[in-house]
Amino acid sequence: MKSVPILVLTFFFVSCQTLPVINNAPGPQTGKEALICPSPFLKEKYRLIHAIEIQMAGATRSAIIGVTLVDPATRTVSCAILTAEGMVLFEADADAGLLNVRRALPPFDSTSFAKNMIDDIKLIFLSPEGKIHQLGTLSDGANVCRWREENGDWIDVSVHQQGNIDIQRYSASGGLKRHVKFINKAGENIYSSIELHAKELSNYSLLMMLIEAQPVKN
Amino acid sequence: MLKRICYPLHKYICIISGLFLLFSQLNYALADNFEQLRKDAANIQTIQARFVQSKSMKILSKPLISEGCFYYVSPDSFRWEYFKPLKSIVIAHKGETKRYISSGGKMTEDKTGGVQAMKIVLNEITAWMSGKFDQNPSFKATLKEGTYTEITLTPVGKSMAGMIEKIIITVSKKDTAVKSVKIIESENSLTRIDFSDAVINKVIPESTFQDIE
Repeated sequence: MKSVPILVLTFFFVSCQTLPVINNAPGPQTGKEALICPSPFLKEKYRLIHAIEIQMAGATRSAIIGVTLVDPATRTVSCAILTAEGMVLFEADADAGLLNVRRALPPFDSTSFAKNMIDDIKLIFLSPEGKIHQLGTLSDGANVCRWREENGDWIDVSVHQQGNIDIQRYSASGGLKRHVKFINKAGENIYSSIELHAKELSNYSLLMMLIEAQPVKN
Repeated sequence: MLKRICYPLHKYICIISGLFLLFSQLNYALADNFEQLRKDAANIQTIQARFVQSKSMKILSKPLISEGCFYYVSPDSFRWEYFKPLKSIVIAHKGETKRYISSGGKMTEDKTGGVQAMKIVLNEITAWMSGKFDQNPSFKATLKEGTYTEITLTPVGKSMAGMIEKIIITVSKKDTAVKSVKIIESENSLTRIDFSDAVINKVIPESTFQDIE
């Protein structure tokens, strides 16, 4: 019985997580230039190969090679995870909502891993599927567009004054689930350096360094 | 969880490392049969070589090329290192096996390792170094003579299930030099490793198996 108040407090705390406040969008009424939503997303079919560091509790745990093939026109995604030694640990496709796992060796063989990985790839490379809910500026001055996804999640895409773009995915109740940072220098491919920070039972981060990017002609 | 990733990964590393030992032994002997191979294995004290690894997959339009080098000192020290595109090193020395990866420009130990899995790997490597390629219960080995000598290793049992379909080693009949090694994981996934600049029985300093950078 003693645990009931704790559970209630936990539920209350979780329920009260709030999304970052967005100030009114600039526009004709404010006399400022209208805001254009930042779009770090792919415009054409691309194949990308990244060296990926996996970090947990602030320490690098392992490194892998990630291959991603994404078509924004059809929203199809193919992906593979390899070790430096060339061993394929995971390979899957997602087409029209259907997930096809071709190969999954431990520890990448859980059903939730495949779905989460495809969702993360879509978050990074494809524009949100939902509707734009709000435009404006965050407290740090970054311009932001907020999407509402069909499943109730919120996606913020913000561009900072230095030009760096962030993507944040929040649960319907406002809890931060993913934070993607594009850390590219001027003139570099926007996907040259990407950080993905995941809030899970065990938080983890992926540091992605681009090896190769290649447009794919059908 | 950590052991789960460690076992298949290091088994794979073990295979490609062990393969090179096999190739060197083939260079040494006209390997008409596996018994001759075992006898010649006793002559190998050290090996060092460079390699180019070519990974082909359906998702890749062209092979992913990796480059590295390999060092071995009898009886159980080896270093398998990739220079690019993803720097990594596997070192086995004095009964310990560790894997290092590049993080922030520095080499750091891969924390997914498990002591028990390392012991399994070491046991396998020891068997390969003894030239017992046709005695490893994990593989069935066959020799085929043609334009080239072809050795095919086929996994037996379930230990390699879902990891490797077969391994094909092509050896020149002229000079018994290994031309290519193919590790076939599935119909859509193939790893080819080409070795070059092999040097046998030249002294390799112990620091090779101690220094990471």
